[in-house]
Amino acid sequence: MTDIVRSGATLPEGVRWGRLPSAQTVTSVAVLVFCAGLVGYPLVYLVAESLNVSGEDVFPPAEMGLGNYTDLIDDWHVLANTAFVACLATVMALVIGFLAAWSLTRTRLPGRPQLERLMQLPYYMTPLVGALAWSILAAPRTGFVNQLWHGLGGPGDIVNAYSPFGIAWVMALFEGTVAFVMISAAMKSMDPALEESARVMGAGKWRTMLTVTLPLVMPGVLGAAIFVFAEMLGSFAAAFVLGLPARYVVITTAMWQAVQSFPPDYPRASALGLALFAVMFATLSLYRLVVRRGNFATITGKAFRPRAMAVGRLAWVLFGACLAYVVVAVVLPLGTLLLTSFQHFATVIMSQSEFTLANYRAALGFGAVRAALTNSLILGVGVATVGVVVMALLVWIIYRSRAPGHAAVEYVVMFPQAVPRMVFGLALLWAWINIPIPIYGTLWLLALAYFTVLLPLGVRTLAGVVLQIDKSLEECARVCGASWFYQLRTVTMPLLRPGIVAAWLLVFIASVRELGVSIFLVGPKAKVIAPSIVSAWLSSSSELSAALAMIQTVAIFIAVIVLFRATRRFSGEPA
Amino acid sequence: MSEARIEIERLAVRYGNVMAVNGVSLTIGQGEHVTLLGPSGCGKTTTLRAIAGLEEPSGGTIRIGGTTVYSAHERRNVPAERRGVSMVFQSYAVWPHMTVADNVAYGLRVRKLPREQIAREVARALDLVQMRNFADRSAANLSGGQQQRVALARAVAFSPEVLLFDEPLSNLDAKLRAEMRVELRDLQRRLGVTSVYVTHDQEEALAISDRVVVMNVGGIEQIGTPEDIYNRPKTRFVADFVGSANLIAGQVKPGAAGPGCVAFAAGGLELQASAAHPPRGDEDRVAVRTAYIDIAPADSGTGASNRIGGTIRQRLFHGDFIQYIVDSPIGQLTVRRPPTEMFDEGCAVTLSFAPEHCILLQA
Repeated sequence: MTDIVRSGATLPEGVRWGRLPSAQTVTSVAVLVFCAGLVGYPLVYLVAESLNVSGEDVFPPAEMGLGNYTDLIDDWHVLANTAFVACLATVMALVIGFLAAWSLTRTRLPGRPQLERLMQLPYYMTPLVGALAWSILAAPRTGFVNQLWHGLGGPGDIVNAYSPFGIAWVMALFEGTVAFVMISAAMKSMDPALEESARVMGAGKWRTMLTVTLPLVMPGVLGAAIFVFAEMLGSFAAAFVLGLPARYVVITTAMWQAVQSFPPDYPRASALGLALFAVMFATLSLYRLVVRRGNFATITGKAFRPRAMAVGRLAWVLFGACLAYVVVAVVLPLGTLLLTSFQHFATVIMSQSEFTLANYRAALGFGAVRAALTNSLILGVGVATVGVVVMALLVWIIYRSRAPGHAAVEYVVMFPQAVPRMVFGLALLWAWINIPIPIYGTLWLLALAYFTVLLPLGVRTLAGVVLQIDKSLEECARVCGASWFYQLRTVTMPLLRPGIVAAWLLVFIASVRELGVSIFLVGPKAKVIAPSIVSAWLSSSSELSAALAMIQTVAIFIAVIVLFRATRRFSGEPA
Repeated sequence: MSEARIEIERLAVRYGNVMAVNGVSLTIGQGEHVTLLGPSGCGKTTTLRAIAGLEEPSGGTIRIGGTTVYSAHERRNVPAERRGVSMVFQSYAVWPHMTVADNVAYGLRVRKLPREQIAREVARALDLVQMRNFADRSAANLSGGQQQRVALARAVAFSPEVLLFDEPLSNLDAKLRAEMRVELRDLQRRLGVTSVYVTHDQEEALAISDRVVVMNVGGIEQIGTPEDIYNRPKTRFVADFVGSANLIAGQVKPGAAGPGCVAFAAGGLELQASAAHPPRGDEDRVAVRTAYIDIAPADSGTGASNRIGGTIRQRLFHGDFIQYIVDSPIGQLTVRRPPTEMFDEGCAVTLSFAPEHCILLQA
């Protein structure tokens, strides 16, 4: 007793450390180790494999060297192709995003709120669905557009989706909405008084725009550009569907070819993947830097209602442009797939069309395909349900507890975002082939992979809600006499519910449409839908893949409608 | 003073390497209303949160109603929910997913009281804040003032022994704040509950407290009744932070000029000042409240001991008072007079103030 008193009196730290490690610290360290293992362990295997120059697939490699990396120099055209497509698509996505963001936040468009919701739809289309649809629409000779052109007596083809422009076009349609959301967030967070004061000082409309508005919005635009560019680098589906027929290879498709070749060239695929990862990591680090640097003190977290400009008749033009984007990115592709999925042979010339339910019968009746659908739904529900519980715990550790290392947990949890999906899939494949736990080729590995790559999505969604909940709402419950558990049940959980619902649905959607990781991890007994669409397309049945894509899209859109309903109901209550 | 309800001894709270609260000792009597007053970052909110059990101190002792709720030596830290205190938060913390009645009933339900009693207590608490008609409304759609009332009703509904207030009025507009001040004081008296109130608004602190604790950089500057703090500030910080005062630089003269009275040399003049303790000799400031200085036309009247000639430099009409800036041998003085006493700018005047209003400050 006297010892305790003495140490307490002379060493206040001793008192604190004497009580540690608390349950909180232990949990936090355990979570940190678990997450780091989940993310880091496969990457270790990938690095080792990329250094393997022995020509044999053993682990650890018999011989190590940088040979696979120096070989990349011979692949320079692949790297150049990747950069070219990514730049092209980024520019197009930014044009779409900037115009839409400006129109919807700064001008008086008719039907703004509805249009803003519609503008989010392209995000829920997958690049795979987009690419399939555009290959049916704009393939040389057989594409719908070219069919119509020939029907009208036109010579040759007028469009060709099997080209770098086709790839960039499909990706830009998908990423345009990402750019839109990021840029309009920057525009919305700007205090209109900043512009008004420029006007009061005597600057005209255009001078204000050039000297005040643009410089303030620029960090947002730059951030969007870098972010979209990084996503493009790692994208696979569009380059796969539209690039390979034209022998236009980018890094991700080169990795796929290396793994599919016989014998599989894992070392080359690993080196390609790590090179891609390095570039993407650098790009995303730059993004973080820009976003932080651009965080001017004048741009607060507060949402302002920006003063909208009256633009007269131009409003209808802008309205039309936004609507056209949604039509081209969502309605047209889905319409094409819908039509094709009911046909024997894809055609837009109705007189030649033979309608049939055979594709759906094949999709739902054919054992393997039906199994893939079922598996995807099981995985989606399972990963979302278990994942959200774990993610909620993580969010609590990161943003609410004062446990040491919570910043490290955040970093580790957000890390998968910087790893291209394909690269992570390859790493997992390699890691689990080499371990005696028999989960390779099962749904368990897919579930683990989905959980890991979707960590950033789920955690960010939940964090958005947690950060909005004022800490005193919880503290007040404790002061009123509630135990921690009672507080959790009556205050924290009810307040978190909208966030949990949103996170569940987003994780479900992302799981059901997952392709990049899945494509390397599916096995004969563990098929999921997106890779099945790819195989159906490879065995040159656009019609069956269209039917599968329609089924996947319907599942996703049902989830999206529930999501919109849920979030609208909750945002309807001013909290 | 009545028996002690809250006793704090040498309380210390550390944030990393910063001592947010450093050696605060304070005793609060049963039914007393004490206000912690200070600028932001002075440790007043941290002290309050340590009493509530929301902040873990790094040293010292806290006792509530004779029970030790925190002690660094005994390594005891009773969690917030078992301290029997209640708190009104700066952000109100009214739960948006519940109705007004649910919010107010929360503390009663936690205590598993019978249904009828809960209904009765909720009605009573809502009556206290005149929010009975809002009982079934969703708490999400209330105005700031209404949320404030709900938070107050919720805090008193379960009849806590101690009520803590963390700047509860700081988010209200000026007029509402003045009204709520009156209501809070009234409520506190009616309930007779011991309360600790945190604010950075000195007017609020003076108006509603039995005693005021002025805090600065983690420590206590002065404890006293509002009149004490206002009339007899001990330090330069208190004189400056509470009310408005002229701080006059000079030098204390050795030896007492009379009982509790000292001579103070400033600007070639000798002022008669009062001192709580015999001066140490290095005191170099006296404080004179702006409201305690009289202005008369030059060379008129006699008698008062501190008489200084001066010229009016600026006159600002505030409505409730007029503020004069007067040039004088002991520096520029700020003087507030009732709007009935009008002097023109540039006019020569005589200033005078009583020795008991000229307070020698600790060095």
